[in-house]
Amino acid sequence: MQNWLTSSKLTKLALPVLALAATLFIAACSPEHPQSTFGYAGPVARDQGNLFILIFWIAVAVFIIVEGGIIYIAFRYRRRDDKIPKQVHGNTKLEITWTVIPSLVVAAIAVPTIIGIWEQQRGAPTDMGDVLEVEAIGHRWWFEFRYPNQEIVTANELHVPTGRPVNVKLSSQDVIHSFWVPKLAGKVDMVPLNDNLVWFIADEPGIYDGQCAEFCGIAHAHMRFRVIAHEEDGFQEWVAGMRTPPEPFEAGSAEAQGELLFATNCKTCHTNDSWRQDAYSLEIQQQESRWNTWLDDIENSRLVSAPNLTHYSQRNFLGAGIKENSRENLIKWITDPDSIKIGTAMQAHAAAYQEREDNKINLSNQEVENIADYLLALEPGDISQLVAPAITGGTPEERGEQLFISIGCNACHSLDADTTIVGPSLIGIAGRAGTRTSLSADEYLRQSINDPGAFIVDGFTNAMVVPKIPPNQVDDLIAYITTLE
Amino acid sequence: MQTTHPGPSREPISLSFPRIIPRPKSEYGIWSWISTVDHKRIGTLYAVTSFFWFLVGGIEALLMRVQLSQADSTLIDPEMFNQLFTMHGTTMVFLVVMPLSAAFFNWLVPLQIGARDVAFPRLNALSFWIFLFGSLFLNFSWLIGDAPNGGWFGYAPNSHVAFNPTNGMNFWVIGLNILGVASIAAGLNFIVTILNMRAPGMSLTKMPVFTWMTFVTSVLIVLALPVLTVALIQLQVDRLYGTHFYNTAAGGDPVLWQHVFWLFGHPEVYILILPAMGIVSEILPVFSRKPLFGYSFLVFAGVAIGFMGWFVWSHHMFTVGLGPAANSAFAISTMAIAIPTGIKIFNWIGTMWGGSIRFSSAMLFAISFIAMFTIGGLSGVMHAAVPSDAQQQDTYFVVAHFHYVLFGGAIMAIFGGIYFWWPKATGYMLSEKLGVINWLIMLIGFNLQFAPQHWLGLDGMPRRIFTYAENMGWENTNMIASAGGFLMAFSVLLFMINVVYSARKRVPAGDDPWDGRTLEWSISSPPPHYNFEKIPNVEHRDDFWFTKHPELIAEYYHDEHSGELTAPSGAQFDEDAAEEEDEHADAHAEEHHGDDEHGHGGIHLPDMSYYPIILAAGLTIVGAGLMTAIPVIIIGTIVLLWGLLGWSFEPVNDPVPDSH
Repeated sequence: MQNWLTSSKLTKLALPVLALAATLFIAACSPEHPQSTFGYAGPVARDQGNLFILIFWIAVAVFIIVEGGIIYIAFRYRRRDDKIPKQVHGNTKLEITWTVIPSLVVAAIAVPTIIGIWEQQRGAPTDMGDVLEVEAIGHRWWFEFRYPNQEIVTANELHVPTGRPVNVKLSSQDVIHSFWVPKLAGKVDMVPLNDNLVWFIADEPGIYDGQCAEFCGIAHAHMRFRVIAHEEDGFQEWVAGMRTPPEPFEAGSAEAQGELLFATNCKTCHTNDSWRQDAYSLEIQQQESRWNTWLDDIENSRLVSAPNLTHYSQRNFLGAGIKENSRENLIKWITDPDSIKIGTAMQAHAAAYQEREDNKINLSNQEVENIADYLLALEPGDISQLVAPAITGGTPEERGEQLFISIGCNACHSLDADTTIVGPSLIGIAGRAGTRTSLSADEYLRQSINDPGAFIVDGFTNAMVVPKIPPNQVDDLIAYITTLE
Repeated sequence: MQTTHPGPSREPISLSFPRIIPRPKSEYGIWSWISTVDHKRIGTLYAVTSFFWFLVGGIEALLMRVQLSQADSTLIDPEMFNQLFTMHGTTMVFLVVMPLSAAFFNWLVPLQIGARDVAFPRLNALSFWIFLFGSLFLNFSWLIGDAPNGGWFGYAPNSHVAFNPTNGMNFWVIGLNILGVASIAAGLNFIVTILNMRAPGMSLTKMPVFTWMTFVTSVLIVLALPVLTVALIQLQVDRLYGTHFYNTAAGGDPVLWQHVFWLFGHPEVYILILPAMGIVSEILPVFSRKPLFGYSFLVFAGVAIGFMGWFVWSHHMFTVGLGPAANSAFAISTMAIAIPTGIKIFNWIGTMWGGSIRFSSAMLFAISFIAMFTIGGLSGVMHAAVPSDAQQQDTYFVVAHFHYVLFGGAIMAIFGGIYFWWPKATGYMLSEKLGVINWLIMLIGFNLQFAPQHWLGLDGMPRRIFTYAENMGWENTNMIASAGGFLMAFSVLLFMINVVYSARKRVPAGDDPWDGRTLEWSISSPPPHYNFEKIPNVEHRDDFWFTKHPELIAEYYHDEHSGELTAPSGAQFDEDAAEEEDEHADAHAEEHHGDDEHGHGGIHLPDMSYYPIILAAGLTIVGAGLMTAIPVIIIGTIVLLWGLLGWSFEPVNDPVPDSH
């Protein structure tokens, strides 16, 4: 009896260790761990992981001492006879010792913790490349992403460049959500009326899984998103594409019919043309008014906040990152959204679903397919059709700078005198431009922007694609470019 | 026990309240239970009721484990899943661990301090009935398919009516407020009982540690539950009457809810764990045959935890964005609270050191408590590191952490306590053989379920998700965890088999089956209705042990270094000094007992009463009325007033012909 019990004490220690080892083993055999907090893909997650590992090893040491002590003492002092042991009531020195030692251990953990808190809450560092400013807004149950400087709105897939800090302003329209991409950065909550910031850098291109981490209602488990990190030029290409309209569809084609059906059935809630000049501010207003309309009459509202679907064919997933964006899934989604993701506001509110008893869409299969074909054909058209965003407020130089970045001039024209990306660096252009031809610097630049082939600098070829920019914005752009020293 | 002192010259009060039903007299049968004011019977009622809810909460957990054992499972729909985890948490906290602890308070505190009942026996009965009705009210929501679904901490604005229009959260706010009344009343009762009703000679420093922890817990309950009440009432009026405390559309602040909830919620964690620490502090010395090591350090650490527990609430909110200053402060306070916790663990191990350890099932559970609670404590310190906590917050790592604390900690200790005091309460033994198997399977099942969940959290699995995709790599680990869950369920089944088996076998326990140390072991098993025939006179800590072993007294007080006899730190060797120190309480107690016994020529106990259950019913009907119709509120108020007035005018004891 005694021996049997003693060995079961050993089991006690071995058990959690074995269980953990078994889990790690099994985990290691599985192919993917897209949300592993140890799959660092950037410095923020790496720092957080390293702090965890430091504390983990300290904890392991304490674990071994305490659990080992328990087992040793239980074994050593097991009852062998009926003698009453010495009635020790305590030992003040010993007790002070084991008060002081944990205090020191805890203090040792506190130091890197406090340093880490201040480092990570300071916001994106400015000495690690141009900071990309993004706004993420939580909705039940999807993520809206806004790029205020590029005037782009998208949903559930956040495109970022590698190697540059991304500063994400977090807010929520409805309940508390949490923005979490384990491989890039720990979570920060998206709290209504209380904006937060999180920043990260993606070291390598890739698709990083993210998920809402604060319980937010029935589809909480289905509120996922991806961060898609591109090399810088790939990112600039994506930005330019988002501001370029798709090619028009051939009259009578399935896509063209889908476009009409989309316009009558979907477009009151889903914007899909955020490349239009004034689309950005309009989209923000509309999302706000859709939300207020819903709040005013929750039961009967036919308007709800909805993801922007601009260039939908570029999406990898549908339903806030839960299913692959295939034609088949899309048709299923349009027909009966709840069959893929529970609790969609679309099925509960959109007029097209309210006309039928079973709450499926009130369109024929053919019509649904047309809409799907239309959405899957939405992609950036010819880059020369790129539309510069409408930028208001500020001085001409400030507007020009914003425009310069948002239409992607900086993708080819370096702002560093010694660096050539594709086109010539524009540093000091104000001095040079006026000397190259008989035109003044302003006129030379205007001509170059409106007709990129007009003057070619030696050693370069004309590869420049210029969006449609209204004359007043060209003025802003020139005002900015001529300040580059 | 009489709580008022009739002055010698006071005129009797002539007011009276019409008696609709006669005062209960029956000592047997269901009516005797309904009208009981005996702390032991009330303790049993608490134990049986909360064990029932333990099974319900366990079934809720198993259903979730079944759902999560496979990726993309569709067995349980999301709404049901949300209701399950909300009710599992709410049930285990408010309907299981708290009332199970209350069962121990009720059974043991009067026995450990040498009293014949608690200070306010009818209030004690009221606490139980409100708890029972509140728990039924809360779970009634299942029957209408509308159980609470906002998580056990009901975060606003997700719990707000715009986002959660069903009745579930109404059941939750009103149900919890009803339960809060029960807890606060019980807390006050035990504070007064412990302060005023200790046997002569039992100074605070001679009090058993379980009673000490009950005292700290009761203070926490009385201070913390009202905070929850405030939050719940705000949410309730938001939901039912359209106020804007947490209505973000009107500028209400959702972060306020978190502050108020966790300002209650963290002390609540210690409300759940301190009684368990008390239980373990009783079991370890008995089966090590040694006094508790460092009594005063241990007690002081318990008090420190109870105090510091008020300054750590925001560690539940490290990702909310409170800013670096607040996060740093709460990180430090959270790490600091690990220190008194560590002291306790070392003192328990020190108690075993040099002992003569008997591996009874109670002892095995108690040792497992230390082992498992240590793991929970270590992961708790990890959470205090704010930057890395950003990866763990709201993941299965946290789920693993608090189950190591609340199951590996609180429930393990409670099972130890059940095995330990069962013979005292019933008079017969539980099977030790089945007990050891029960322990082993529970320990294995528990670790199989919750150790892998640490990994799941680190692998990015958020809590409260009803399903996950196959490629996440969580499936196998979840399957292991679910298997562990069923093993735990099996161990609970073994416990129930043990209860039935032992009840049939009825191996008599005797008064003192474990060679106990505290006063409860000095009386018969089960204890007589009046507990102590003669109120004991306490001279030492572990007084009963030293009564049995007077030759050990000198050894206990011996100081190794000076070679002299000294008091252990904090204790009083000198009997007179001890009594002087606590003169007031003792004098009071003596006078008190004197009163009773002289007045009635012997042992005197309060009479039974129907009013507690009537008052509790009225309160619950009012609660139901808040959700339904005003006439129901009126009916409830009438019942409540009947209970209240009837109670107020009902003497503790009906006049006995031969008195005064």
